[in-house]
Amino acid sequence: MPVTRKRIIPALLGTLTLSLSAFAATPDQWTLPVSVQKLDNGLTVIVSEDHTSPTVGVSVVYHVGMRLEPRNRTGFAHLFEHLMFQGTPNAPKGVFDKAITGGGGRNNGSTRPDFTNYIETAPVSALESILWLEADRMKTLDFNPTSLKNQQDVVKEEIRVNVKNQPYGGFMWIDISQQAFQKWENNHDGYGSFEDLEGASLDDVRAFHRDYYGPNNAVLAIAGDVTPVQGFALAKKYFAAIPKRAVPAGSDFTEGLNTKEKRIEQSDALAQAPALAAAWKMPARGSRDQAAMAVLGEVLAGGDASMLYQGLIKGRELALNIDNLYGLTGPWEFDGPTLFTIYAIYKPTSSADALLAAIDEEIAKVVKNGVDDATLQRTKTRMLADWNNKLESFINRADMMARLQTLWGDAKVVNRIPGWIEGVTSADIQRAAATYLVATNRTVIDRKPVVKVAVSPPSAAMPATGEKK
Amino acid sequence: MNTPIDKIIDKLNSTLTLTLTLTVAIGLTVTPLVQAADVKLPAAMPAYGQDKPIPAPKIVKKILANGLQIWVVERNGVPRVDYVLAVRGAGYSADDRDHPGFANLMAGLLTEGTAKRDSRAIAEAAQGMGGSVAASTTVDGMLVSANAVTSRAGDMLQLLADVARAPSFPAKEVTLAKANALQSLKVQEATPGFRAERAISKAVYGDHPYGRVQPTVNAISSATDVMLRAEHARRFRPDQTLLVITGRIGQRAAMTLAQQAFGDWKADGAPLPAIPPAPSIASPQRILLERSGSVQSTVRLGGTGIAATTDDYVPMRLASTILGGGFSSRVNLNLREEKGYTYGASAGARVNREGGSIIGGADVRNAVSGAALTEFFSEYKRLGTELVPPEEMAMNKRYVAGGYLISNQMQRAVASTLANNWLIGLPAEFLGQYVPQIQKVTPEQVRAIGKKYFAPENQSIVVVGDTAQVGEQLKAFGEFTVSDK
Repeated sequence: MPVTRKRIIPALLGTLTLSLSAFAATPDQWTLPVSVQKLDNGLTVIVSEDHTSPTVGVSVVYHVGMRLEPRNRTGFAHLFEHLMFQGTPNAPKGVFDKAITGGGGRNNGSTRPDFTNYIETAPVSALESILWLEADRMKTLDFNPTSLKNQQDVVKEEIRVNVKNQPYGGFMWIDISQQAFQKWENNHDGYGSFEDLEGASLDDVRAFHRDYYGPNNAVLAIAGDVTPVQGFALAKKYFAAIPKRAVPAGSDFTEGLNTKEKRIEQSDALAQAPALAAAWKMPARGSRDQAAMAVLGEVLAGGDASMLYQGLIKGRELALNIDNLYGLTGPWEFDGPTLFTIYAIYKPTSSADALLAAIDEEIAKVVKNGVDDATLQRTKTRMLADWNNKLESFINRADMMARLQTLWGDAKVVNRIPGWIEGVTSADIQRAAATYLVATNRTVIDRKPVVKVAVSPPSAAMPATGEKK
Repeated sequence: MNTPIDKIIDKLNSTLTLTLTLTVAIGLTVTPLVQAADVKLPAAMPAYGQDKPIPAPKIVKKILANGLQIWVVERNGVPRVDYVLAVRGAGYSADDRDHPGFANLMAGLLTEGTAKRDSRAIAEAAQGMGGSVAASTTVDGMLVSANAVTSRAGDMLQLLADVARAPSFPAKEVTLAKANALQSLKVQEATPGFRAERAISKAVYGDHPYGRVQPTVNAISSATDVMLRAEHARRFRPDQTLLVITGRIGQRAAMTLAQQAFGDWKADGAPLPAIPPAPSIASPQRILLERSGSVQSTVRLGGTGIAATTDDYVPMRLASTILGGGFSSRVNLNLREEKGYTYGASAGARVNREGGSIIGGADVRNAVSGAALTEFFSEYKRLGTELVPPEEMAMNKRYVAGGYLISNQMQRAVASTLANNWLIGLPAEFLGQYVPQIQKVTPEQVRAIGKKYFAPENQSIVVVGDTAQVGEQLKAFGEFTVSDK
């Protein structure tokens, strides 16, 4: 899949046009203002005005993530994200956070397969400081060996606390991708091996910043107590002088659906109860099936009214919990091979076979009968409400718009998604289930506790890796 | 997806709930930090603009004839109405000695059946209203929270009233909930944070009910539907309850809906006995919880703290922010940004109605377990001996004020904060008074708080880790009792 932005497939637009009017007729609709401008250096700027709170949310999204990190540098996109907070020649280490904390704000960043985001929220009195800081680190960084070492240590502790020292070790999002995908861009560990993390050099950091962190590879969104005129003027003031930089052509990391089921067993030295993850490859972003997969996922595993909750937690009483994932983001925020994953901790009295058989039975019902009107309406009502709820805070609003602009080339998709959800029919869901949620397209990990012996080896906390590639 | 902001802080300072999930780190979150005190802001960076006035929420209040209190905050944002029903005293503190965690079992079962609806009907009704209804437990009470799209506000309040007033605790659902709770307990025992939390609470609170929130196998096994019904009748009563309503709803309409849903609710029997005061002194303990093969030490420090209604509350909140309440807090800057020992460190007060605790902690690699404790204690001591420099005071006060404005964007956060404040004894007006009061705190007050509550010699230490890897390092901090619990 190309790194450049993609056009929306016309079929999806057709659905959208038809359904928008129906959606607009409901009293619970919420349409957000979206103004977009592109600066001469290629930076896309979005402003969404809302004066109900004297605060703002800011998001800067760069169109680079784990897929594009260097081959012998697993985890580098994420390590680099940490280094974006470690200072520049103009604002040495410590300034960034101090300035935002002192401005009354909060900030964070995260790394995903297709993008990396940097987000802030603060009283509007800190907006200019935040924009100055974001522009400053877009220009260059303080390429400093002490900070690099410090963040290599911090990232290793992050991996220990989230993966190596925890039962299940993130198998439903790290290991499952390693098993399900064929291309390196999609199947390497985005958290990284300690060896690769330790091998990262300042030259790597310089090159990554130069190649992927220019204004023409970024989107800036501001939501909250600011008008579009003010927002665009501030964006120009702080960002317009940053020259555009050449972005390397990305590799082709597209993959088709899988054609043969893959099932593996892992042992877990820390877990006390077995768990299962089942993942199917998703349709591409912009596919006519994307909205249907979003609604199907909710019908199957969206909360305690869903089919799998009612069928597996209740009903057959096989599992303790069940949940779903769309890659590392959501059903709308990806632009490359992505998994729809269902995962559960199951009862020791049950088995992976029993769980999979039950999941297959529920999916087969959807394929055969579709989804009845009442269930479909209930499901959509909550999906639409959840979509609005997610956009309530200014930081999430700015960030979602910046992500959608980056991945879809159009921030206004934020107001179209409700219509796409509304437009999904029972037949669409049947088609999606029959096309994607099939055994041949499925990857399964059965994760079982190790039977405890008297003394565990020092590496006991590591997930078993014997069956990994 | 969780808001990544304050993720690390939440991990330590939120009330432990027994909801069972596999942890999914959605994306790889960085929590950036700085050396706050010695960093100068660049001259080229634009100064902060003029601060806008900080608005106090407009809260309309009413008390129904049965004693139920209603607070309404009208909003004009997202097309949703939020409800929080807070029942004072109905939480963990009402659980008897043999049934720790019972309140959590009850909270989960409120939505598993009523006289009118079975479990599935409740789930489907909530989904159809575009929202949810669920109960949660704190040491000081139980919270039943619900929300729905604006057009279904009345229906949702009826549903909330049904699950809060008339849960039926069907035998089949109770049996399933118990089986799953036993299995969940086993799952949680495998996470170091759960074990550390249980041990540090016990060290601080001793035998007080605030120290008994985690369930035991016996507590779960011996719970019955009969007990659940009896305890529900005893704990849930209108004269101990507050209903907070926020969102796109006029206060008159909100009051009418509340009257319809709760007007005929009657209290039954004698009110619950008051929760006794929590201990203000605890003898410091040293506990090492063995976890063979652990690649990190989960380190927790704990001492006794304060009740929310004491004079020390506001300076305590600011002192906690400075020491360990955010990305730019002292312990975080020291242990993460300077030393690289951890992904995040935090410390500060947890405050309840009848007393509280001071809890600090971090997850650190084995080799620096002792060094991490040294740094924690050094920061604790500094807070109680040196005055916080004016610039750091100003930064933290602005951080608190900003936090108030940011959380005020979210109507659900406003409802939850009001309900939680009420449970711990703070009035409705406190929400609007909090920032002005924080702004008046002096460096001398912060130092006094540090000296009184953060003295290293009063802190218990709990480490969950591999004894063979870390035992030697811990010797400098006293004699540790090693346990596999």
